[in-house]
Amino acid sequence: MSTMTIHLKIWRQKNANDPGHFEDYTLDEVSEHMSFLEMLDVLNENLIKEGTEPVEFDYDCREGICGSCNLVINGRAHGPKHKTAVCQLHMRNYSDGDTIVIEPPRAAAFPVIKDLVVDRSAFDRIIEAGGYVSVKTGSAPEANLIPIAQDVSNESFDYATCIGCGACVAACPNSSAALFTGAKLAHLNLLPQGQPEREKRTIAMVDQMDKEGFGDCSNHGECEAVCPVGISISAIAEMRKDYLKAVI
Amino acid sequence: MKLDSQEPSGPLEDKWNNHLQDIKLVSPNNKRKYNIIVVGTGLAGASAAASLAELGYNVKSFCILDSARRAHSIAAQGGINAAKNYPNDGDSVWRLFYDTIKGGDYRSRESNVYRLAQNSNEIIDQAVAQGVPFAREYGGLLDNRSFGGAQVSRTFYARGQTGQQLLMGAYQAMMKEVHSGKIEYYPRHEMLDLVMIDGKARGIITRDLVKGEINKFEADAVVLCTGGYGNVFYLSTNAKNSNVTAAWRCHKRGAAFANPCYVQIHPTCIPVSGDYQSKLTLMSESLRNDGRVWVPRKKGDDRPPNEIPEDERYYYLEEKYPSFGNLVPRDVASRNAKLVTDDGMGVGETGKAVYLDFRDAIKRDGIDTIRSKYGNLFDMYENIMDENPYEVPMKIFPAVHYTMGGLWVDYNLMSNVPGLFVAGEANFSDHGANRLGASALMQGLSDGYFIIPYTIGNYLADHQPDDLTTDHEAFSEAAKTSEDQLQKLLSIQGDKTIIEFHRELGKIMWDKVGISRSKEGLEEAIEQIRELREEFWTNVRVPGEMTYYNKYLEFALRVADYFELAELMAIDALDREESCGCHLRDEYQSDEGEALRNDEDYSFVSAWEYQGVNGKLKTKLHKENLEFEFVELKQRSYK
Amino acid sequence: MPSFIEALKSQVGRKFLTGITGLLLVFFIIFHLMGNLAIFGEPNAMNEYSKFLHSLGPLLWVARAGLIIAFILHAWIGISIWWNKRKARPQKYKVYSSKGGPSKQSLSSRSMAFTGIVLLVFVVIHVNTFALGDTETITVAGEQYSDLKQLVIDTFANSALYTFGYTIVMILLGTHLGHGIWSAFVSLTMRSKKTSAIVYTVGAIFAVLLAVGFLFIPLYIYFAGGCEAALISCN
Repeated sequence: MSTMTIHLKIWRQKNANDPGHFEDYTLDEVSEHMSFLEMLDVLNENLIKEGTEPVEFDYDCREGICGSCNLVINGRAHGPKHKTAVCQLHMRNYSDGDTIVIEPPRAAAFPVIKDLVVDRSAFDRIIEAGGYVSVKTGSAPEANLIPIAQDVSNESFDYATCIGCGACVAACPNSSAALFTGAKLAHLNLLPQGQPEREKRTIAMVDQMDKEGFGDCSNHGECEAVCPVGISISAIAEMRKDYLKAVI
Repeated sequence: MKLDSQEPSGPLEDKWNNHLQDIKLVSPNNKRKYNIIVVGTGLAGASAAASLAELGYNVKSFCILDSARRAHSIAAQGGINAAKNYPNDGDSVWRLFYDTIKGGDYRSRESNVYRLAQNSNEIIDQAVAQGVPFAREYGGLLDNRSFGGAQVSRTFYARGQTGQQLLMGAYQAMMKEVHSGKIEYYPRHEMLDLVMIDGKARGIITRDLVKGEINKFEADAVVLCTGGYGNVFYLSTNAKNSNVTAAWRCHKRGAAFANPCYVQIHPTCIPVSGDYQSKLTLMSESLRNDGRVWVPRKKGDDRPPNEIPEDERYYYLEEKYPSFGNLVPRDVASRNAKLVTDDGMGVGETGKAVYLDFRDAIKRDGIDTIRSKYGNLFDMYENIMDENPYEVPMKIFPAVHYTMGGLWVDYNLMSNVPGLFVAGEANFSDHGANRLGASALMQGLSDGYFIIPYTIGNYLADHQPDDLTTDHEAFSEAAKTSEDQLQKLLSIQGDKTIIEFHRELGKIMWDKVGISRSKEGLEEAIEQIRELREEFWTNVRVPGEMTYYNKYLEFALRVADYFELAELMAIDALDREESCGCHLRDEYQSDEGEALRNDEDYSFVSAWEYQGVNGKLKTKLHKENLEFEFVELKQRSYK
Repeated sequence: MPSFIEALKSQVGRKFLTGITGLLLVFFIIFHLMGNLAIFGEPNAMNEYSKFLHSLGPLLWVARAGLIIAFILHAWIGISIWWNKRKARPQKYKVYSSKGGPSKQSLSSRSMAFTGIVLLVFVVIHVNTFALGDTETITVAGEQYSDLKQLVIDTFANSALYTFGYTIVMILLGTHLGHGIWSAFVSLTMRSKKTSAIVYTVGAIFAVLLAVGFLFIPLYIYFAGGCEAALISCN
């Protein structure tokens, strides 16, 4: 098993008010089988032993589904691999002697909490505004009373796979949340269950997205490229169609 | 301590309906006078919070992550069972009930399990109405697949992301109520203690993980939905933040902990590659529908798998269990993987792996069919292992996955502490000594959508709303206890990191309280846990301070609780002198190496009462006898 | 339910307006280019075309007003998007790069604000030079024309600054449209992946053709020498 030496340049910031700075670290004996986050775990173990504060970063499931992790690595959200969350990125994608710059997602709507940890509650508020089908517990009809063509169901599913990590915002040159918002709208608006609230939902979520201080979507399409589940920017066009239909 | 299961009498199929008719109600106008705290936002927590808020209760919802949507239910891949019988293969509520209780090796309550099977169908209806995109057939109706431990296809699924999709449904339902103002939502808050007043659960102490502040919240009832404790093993398929702290603190305040030794080891996980490994990745059990499990017959055979001819491959599950084959329940599959690797037939660099081979399935159905069924799982495997599973068999090994044990609850899902309800994986109720695949999602949602919302009313109806505030001294006492403990952890400044301690603890647990246990090993484990715990409290190094975001302080606190829980697990495993489900005692096996139950002496739930830790864990066993009126206890056989 | 005006002010509404006005402006420059190419036609073709446009009277003013409104709206929203983007990311990345793959991010997409502002300034100068410039009145076949063609030829033949400045701006126009044409369709809710791929390619080719068409004229005049050039015949 081959090991490498990796140079790290990591953003350190005590809290939202601290201006923050980069700090350099060198890590020896990095195994190519390590995940990127395990490499950071090892760095933190070293830092703790040295008596300095470890680097804070968000993570939980470490299998690419919870959406907690979201690092910008050498200028790319979730690192170099397509359709891969950073927790699923392995060090075999790097070579001995590489320098890796790690930054938090940078957006006014995602204020830094500490180091690489940011506050993504704006996403919760967008869902809160209308990202649901209102169905009280117990009031649902028999499931097979609502047949849904397989292709419709599949298309809706493609949008439903969003993990809410915020890489789309991080990578967007404008810090737009259009892909996140569009994906949830497309998921629900494509399904028959989503029809009664379609217009109300679309207007409310777009409105909330605007209020949160994300930038506009200029159709760079970078969001799709960094999305760990590969959600298509067609979601954004779906959102626009539904919004325009709703207001006209 | 008195354990009263509150099981209703009458015929099995009528118990729940009769109970619903008998329990007390809170009128709509009065509901708004009650405050309910829901801790955790996984399937159980989010569904309970949403449903309680819809009823009109004032709900406060807490989660340790930055968003409720990230709770670990999200990682469930395979599916959710229901007795719809859409495939017309003879399924029924009774069969789902029977499979579940048999799968659990007859160590769960008949009444609870039957209710779970009854609720299963409504869960599917609810989820579909919310827009959960379950797999469908060409005609537009819902599709099913089969799962371990069952001979019917009753598993509803959403590609390999069923947990994610069901959680989104519940999370969205919850956010709707956040919007309506009926739920106050507290992300990045960790529960540190349960506040008891006059013998009832009346609130919680939390730490705001961003600001570091200790906060107090009062309520008329507390619903704990904080998941399982698999992370006591350090390496497990659980998320890094999954922990036992909330449940353990309730245990320390008087809630009995039931069956702590029942830990499910999932047979199909990606094997460990090195010391730095931080968690284990599960490959859905659904893979066993088409993959064939084997090892080389010759010990130490290091030829590449594709060069090993058919007659030198040992398809051990198919040979030993011809009728279930690769679809035996999880505990059986895991145990057999351990047996063959212990015999030296394991594969891979460490010898701690077996093959899961899709060669024949690809030959039979074509690569495209296999890709459409498992594409995302295969991609995930290739990404982690750097090997193409379409060409080379996967290497898999068992890993800790789910804990059937948890806080003891009665039929109403209330613990022995009045006002403390426990739902989902955090309770012990439905899976006995082993959980069948695709049953965890079912249980979490059954508890949260369809049980707690009714049964909590039964408790609240007898509990008058009062004007309790967090000024009560019980709150400051509990807050101080929590704060002192955090300060203590920070003040030690020893030489070893939290992760080093946790890894060591995990190793003891895996080796001695893992897939198989023995009297000797358990006694050693108890000694080692105690020693390591003493060392932890004198030699751990926790960085930073408690007044700001400090992930390692959170970990330290959780590991401190694991040290106590670990001892209880070993004590429980030692006490249970039989093998059942996932609990395999080396001393109690049939001649064929199957788990040998002792129904005469051990047909009970072990509920432990905490009595303090002072070098040793002091704990007292209470037994809830399990009566089987409707099923006949048999030796499980999947042959 | 927001009012229609409020809806237009939303992110979606603004992109809709940007797309509509953008496409309108693209149509305009297609016509503009066709008019310009008249310079290679009959000696008086360009002046006749100009006179025809002026003869439209009120209709011309309606078209002009429409154009001006579209142009201002397009520029205004474009600048506001740029401004919002700065507000939305006050702290820039130290390192930033596109992940490639399906990304449509390019020099073209990243420079929309810059190319747009250059075009804005250019249009003011351009209108001042040609539309409001001094032209001589000439008589051809008994009819009076203002000799726009001669003004164009004189401007480019005698000024390297104007010629090359114009050329650079036309390259920037091509750059702007390279992302802009496709983007307008996406803003106007084009969803199909297949169509999108086609529109992207066709849009980019169109952008190149328009830019080349526009910049060919000044370069040709400058290097080939106005009325003496083979392709141009003067009165």
